[in-house]
Amino acid sequence: MTDVTTPETGSREARPTRASRPPAPTGSRPTTPGTPPRRRRSAESQRRLVALTMLAPALLGLVVFFAYPLVASVFYSFTRYNQLQEPEFVGLLNYRFLFTQDPQVVPAVVNTLWFVVVLVPVRIVCGLLVAGLLSRARTATGFWRTLFYLPALVPPVASVVAFVFLFNPGTGPVNQLLRLVGIEGPLWFNDPAWSKPSLVILGVWVMGDIMIIFLASLLDVPRDLYEAASLDGATGVQQVRHITLPTIAPVIGFAAVTGVIAALQYFTEAAVASGVASGKATIGGGTAAGLGYPGTSLLTYTELLYQHGFANFQFGYASAMAVVLFVITAIVLVLTMRRISVFRPEES
Amino acid sequence: MHLPTRSVTRITTVAAMAAAGALVLAGCSSGSSAADIADEAPTKLEGTVSLWHFFTGREAGVIKDAVSGFEKANPGVTVDIHAGQDDEKLQKAISSGQNIDVGLSYSTAIVGSFCSSGAFRDLAPYIERDKVDLSDIPDAVRGYTEYKGQRCTLPALADVDALLYNNEAFKEAGITGPPKTLDELKADGLKLTTYNADGSIKRLGFNPLIDFYENSPQHWAAMIDGKWLDGDGKSVIGKSAGWKQLLQWQKDYVDEIGYDKLKAFTSGLGQEFAADNAFHTGQVAMEIDGEYRTAFIADQKPDLDYGTAPIPVLPGVGNYGSTWIAGNVAGIAKGSENPELSWALLKYLSLDTDAQVTMANGLKNIPTLKSALASKDLEVDDRYQAFVDIAGDPKTFTSPATPDGAAYLATQTKFWEAWQEQGGNLDAKLRKLDEDIDAAGQLAGP
Amino acid sequence: MTAVSQSPLARAPRGAAPRAGKPRRGLLLWVAEHAALVALGVLTVAPIVFVVLTSLMSSNQALTASVIPKPFDVSNYARVFNELPLAQWFGNSALYAVLATAFMLLSSVPAAYALAQIRFRGANLVFTVIIVAMLLPPQVTAVPVYVMWSHLHLTGTLWPLILPNLLGDAFSIFLLRQFFMTIPKEYGDAARMDGCTEWGVLLRVVVPMARPGIASAAIFMFFHSWNDYYGPLLYASENQAAWPVAYGLATFRGQHGTDWSMTMAMTVVVMVPVVVIFFFAQKAFVEGIALTGVKG
Repeated sequence: MTDVTTPETGSREARPTRASRPPAPTGSRPTTPGTPPRRRRSAESQRRLVALTMLAPALLGLVVFFAYPLVASVFYSFTRYNQLQEPEFVGLLNYRFLFTQDPQVVPAVVNTLWFVVVLVPVRIVCGLLVAGLLSRARTATGFWRTLFYLPALVPPVASVVAFVFLFNPGTGPVNQLLRLVGIEGPLWFNDPAWSKPSLVILGVWVMGDIMIIFLASLLDVPRDLYEAASLDGATGVQQVRHITLPTIAPVIGFAAVTGVIAALQYFTEAAVASGVASGKATIGGGTAAGLGYPGTSLLTYTELLYQHGFANFQFGYASAMAVVLFVITAIVLVLTMRRISVFRPEES
Repeated sequence: MHLPTRSVTRITTVAAMAAAGALVLAGCSSGSSAADIADEAPTKLEGTVSLWHFFTGREAGVIKDAVSGFEKANPGVTVDIHAGQDDEKLQKAISSGQNIDVGLSYSTAIVGSFCSSGAFRDLAPYIERDKVDLSDIPDAVRGYTEYKGQRCTLPALADVDALLYNNEAFKEAGITGPPKTLDELKADGLKLTTYNADGSIKRLGFNPLIDFYENSPQHWAAMIDGKWLDGDGKSVIGKSAGWKQLLQWQKDYVDEIGYDKLKAFTSGLGQEFAADNAFHTGQVAMEIDGEYRTAFIADQKPDLDYGTAPIPVLPGVGNYGSTWIAGNVAGIAKGSENPELSWALLKYLSLDTDAQVTMANGLKNIPTLKSALASKDLEVDDRYQAFVDIAGDPKTFTSPATPDGAAYLATQTKFWEAWQEQGGNLDAKLRKLDEDIDAAGQLAGP
Repeated sequence: MTAVSQSPLARAPRGAAPRAGKPRRGLLLWVAEHAALVALGVLTVAPIVFVVLTSLMSSNQALTASVIPKPFDVSNYARVFNELPLAQWFGNSALYAVLATAFMLLSSVPAAYALAQIRFRGANLVFTVIIVAMLLPPQVTAVPVYVMWSHLHLTGTLWPLILPNLLGDAFSIFLLRQFFMTIPKEYGDAARMDGCTEWGVLLRVVVPMARPGIASAAIFMFFHSWNDYYGPLLYASENQAAWPVAYGLATFRGQHGTDWSMTMAMTVVVMVPVVVIFFFAQKAFVEGIALTGVKG
């Protein structure tokens, strides 16, 4: 199975031999000495122009969908705006409500942080364990890899609906199986104490997406290192601690950072789980009416933002919430981006 | 990271442009503002008018039939129906300038917000011009369709809640008549509750959990003639003795059976509007539900032997025979391009006796015209009569409108859900509830 | 390191070689590892199996505790297509996914190439901004972007989700750039020596070599659009005719109660296309994932 070219292992097609290859070019910069600087500079700006042309749509996209909305959000956050009337300047009212008066902010923030602190590490650990198992298995690795990746493929909505059904306290297979062993299972998605753990179970089921990158990285650890270490008498555990973990640390870092950012914006699974589990047909009520069920246990920060913004049409307040979310995310990024090699532009 | 000066300048320029763009775009609003209306109603109506409503399934079919009556009376007019649109979607559609002419909402909650924000147009000019007489609409109903003197909606059928009880269960337990007071309700409820061998609930006499089916603060309000806001729109829930006593009564009831048992039982019950509704199956013997439930029973479980009666009250505080009424309200969307057609459709849905009777019979909702209530074409059997009577009761009331819509009811419900599970210092919690409602009201604006 | 021209995932799996002289311990470990794999495998597949079994039950039986359908009832699948506009929803999902992917390729391939293969001042800054844009929660920009689309009268449709891809997609640019960077610059330089413009190098040299990477990015975009719930919730919830299947699955059952067997049938129907496409595009897909985290 020949696949992607990698810098260390050579190219997919045979490299041109020395004879047929033109002398090693170093870009379009002329190599003869004494070339006037003007030509060099114009070659560089020529390159720049082409690059910017290729980047033009993306740059425009960044302005329209990234820069402008960020600034606009800050602007709106100081207004009261429901889209039916002009925005009305209200100063810090939204922020005051956000930080001191909104009774739902505290549960929302706590829930979101809960997911950051529990869901992310659990998924990483499970992904590592399964990747570790797979990296040691000799037989049918392709099959196992596909099998464990399958749940991550399923549209999240579908997996949540399936899980709520499976974990139905009365008739679901999970509680039935537990009953066979004599345990009376909890109410899972209907119990405020168990609803978040139930989503963590779902998160573990779909850990295939990070398991795969862990697997690739584990398989990349040079075998010689292990052999040398065992010759020196290192035990398996020591090998893992001193060879494996340090080598795959960048990938774990990547998974951690992207995991944290995903947890900060956790929405779909929680919203769909609440809707399906509550089952209460909310005639007249919208999606937002059921957010957080059971109780406020599944209310996340972005769900609250949605509720205020798109159910109650308080765009100003929702923008204030968005600005705060941006600040938190920016802090996380600033603290971690330099450490994640993939995000460093100099790596090439 | 070091940013070269030129890049900093570039970034600043972009940000400045973006800010300017934000200000410019914010200045645009969607839809045209309400223009002056024509001096006379058009003699012939034609064109397409879009009607957005929240009904689905069987009930949507009833609306469709009623609307085809309008189309027949006005050949040349087509009504483009969008079903299943709740308040959230209505507001989305109106504020983002989509094609919506008439909106029919489930709850009176939006009257306050839609009237004050202009999402629904002011109907006064039309009413005056066409010399429409609103006296056929009952007082309480007329009251909840306007906000601070501005009328932006007309009522189109209403809902009231009463007590429904399973006659077979009553016979089994030896209960001769429906409970009239809260104490009787609790006593009967506990008597009717049976348990399995393992201690779990088999049949529940009455489900005291506030988030079960149609249980809610507003539907229970009649038990204590509940008041929510004072004249200034500030919350008085905490200061009212009625709510406090009701909360205490409910918590005692919940604790007597056991919150966990109730929760486990409730989460295993069928869906409210499906055929396995717990009242239909007999798993719950008494419930507080709307008059439309009779239509669902007739459709899904016609052999159910049940009775109807007014909601039990706290003696001396609630008025037996009254209820909380709320209904569907309809209005003309702000950006509608066919205001005259919309007005005609609106009049038809709200003020046409025959249309109301047809819809009322199909949906089993209460008509909002006195003439329709008295009409002999209105299908009323003894069980439905109870609903008609309480709808007409002079003490029947509704909950006040606010610019924040029904947010205060949602806050109260969340508070109650926490209360029924955790208990605690009721006075302190009620005080916090009032504060929260007032703070949210301030956020939403005057 | 031997110069094997294969990706890490394609190489023979590594692991501690069983030590000579301790065969029993090696065997025990092997059995334990594989037992664990089998157990985990069963746990992983079980939910899907249950879902499929339930979809083959009658609606009443789905409410009971039984696991095996008695009798096998395929009518749910027919009902799902008859009672709901499922075909229309599938069409919406397909349109959204296909157009979003196509637009993304148009805008993001050149952009990624520029960042990866052309050395120019400002490249690093642009790349950093793209990373930030990629990682930023969409809710941060949701409100103003929504206001923008309502002024253009495009809410109630899926266009606000499709059109932005004409202006590039941050994650795709990131992924494609990672891939383009693995293509040695010598090829481009050789072509430039022959008089090719940058566009020529891109289209005639790099793109043909980069097909797996481009396929990866395309598949990611396709799945992201197919599985999207938040976007349609925001923009298309009021127009049932515009719903994609993911949104329809989460929403339709709220109206008069959940019919579980039908819901499960719909879940299976929503899952199938994704699984099928994955089986055909496995290689590219898995390589793409490895690229996001592994190669810097």
